[in-house]
Amino acid sequence: MKISLLEIFKVFFIIGLQLLGGGYVIVPLLKKYLVEERHWLNEEELTDFFALSQCIPGIIAGNIAVCAGHKVRGILGAITALLGIIVPCFLAILIIVQLISGFTDNQTVQNAFKGIRISVVVLIFITIKELWSKSVNSVFSYFLFFAIFAALCLLPISPVFIIISAGLISLIYFRLKGVKNA
Amino acid sequence: MLKIYLLLFWEFTKIGIFAIGGGYAAIPFLFYLQSQYNWFSVDELINMIAVANITPGPVGINMATYTGLKTAGIIGAMISTFSIVLVPFILTIFIVKLLSKFQHNKDVNYAFIGFRCAACALLTYIAFKLLLQTASIKNFTDFDKSSLILFFILISTFCFMRKNPLLTIIAGALGGIIFNSFL
Repeated sequence: MKISLLEIFKVFFIIGLQLLGGGYVIVPLLKKYLVEERHWLNEEELTDFFALSQCIPGIIAGNIAVCAGHKVRGILGAITALLGIIVPCFLAILIIVQLISGFTDNQTVQNAFKGIRISVVVLIFITIKELWSKSVNSVFSYFLFFAIFAALCLLPISPVFIIISAGLISLIYFRLKGVKNA
Repeated sequence: MLKIYLLLFWEFTKIGIFAIGGGYAAIPFLFYLQSQYNWFSVDELINMIAVANITPGPVGINMATYTGLKTAGIIGAMISTFSIVLVPFILTIFIVKLLSKFQHNKDVNYAFIGFRCAACALLTYIAFKLLLQTASIKNFTDFDKSSLILFFILISTFCFMRKNPLLTIIAGALGGIIFNSFL
């Protein structure tokens, strides 16, 4: 039996509404709605999709939704699932921006935002701490990390250039190392 | 206006391709946009990141929507949101069919070690730059004491918990009001 696109949209819309605080939150939600309640996926597929989503550029939650939607109903399912995730955040941003713009001249709100900007810096540092163990965990990666950091401090380099060159350097390094060990 | 739409499409497509490792990886790209085009100020951009964090939805998509909205209204928001998911969508569809082959490809894994490391370094650089800016640190003696104190209070409180953006931002707002209105 084919699952209707409307049903797919509805489920992902509900998941999108509950996504608060980073892409990883989507995994337990998918497990609840897709694996346990609807049996559209099994647990193993979900784990595979999660691993895969991290190896594809882009927003992790969006990528997992595309994988899951594709499994359920092919390309159309993938598009529907992605729309289901995007639409609620799109609307939420529109509404929240309208709400905030009425208050921005207020002195207390401005003081609050001064503190909020510091929270954002704190959140970025916490994210770095979380990324660190997964990304900077060998002599090679320490070296690469500090080389990039130093380069950024000295020159204004585009992030695109940094990402491409780091990928290439890493590929070449491990290829050569592999040859030497073999 | 058309030119801004095209630029938004181009820039956010690039972010979609190169921001590897979740929504926060897009932050360095947004600051690069800021320095290139001046569509918004640094303070505005940090406010946008805060709003994206407390709005339902993946942070990366929220940031794209908000940045587009701020730059070119509701059509801008649609363009940036569409562009940031476009290439990842195509790639995901393509790769999910070759799932196991791709995941166990050595070269892909090698390149991703570098990608992740670079994403982390970019974010670290931005974090320090923002710290200097939000606490107006100019040198060792010239800085905004209350902001720096608030930073250390927040980071020592939240760095040992699981990341909780909502709570962190509420604490920052309260801290901002207390430090700037009453002290």
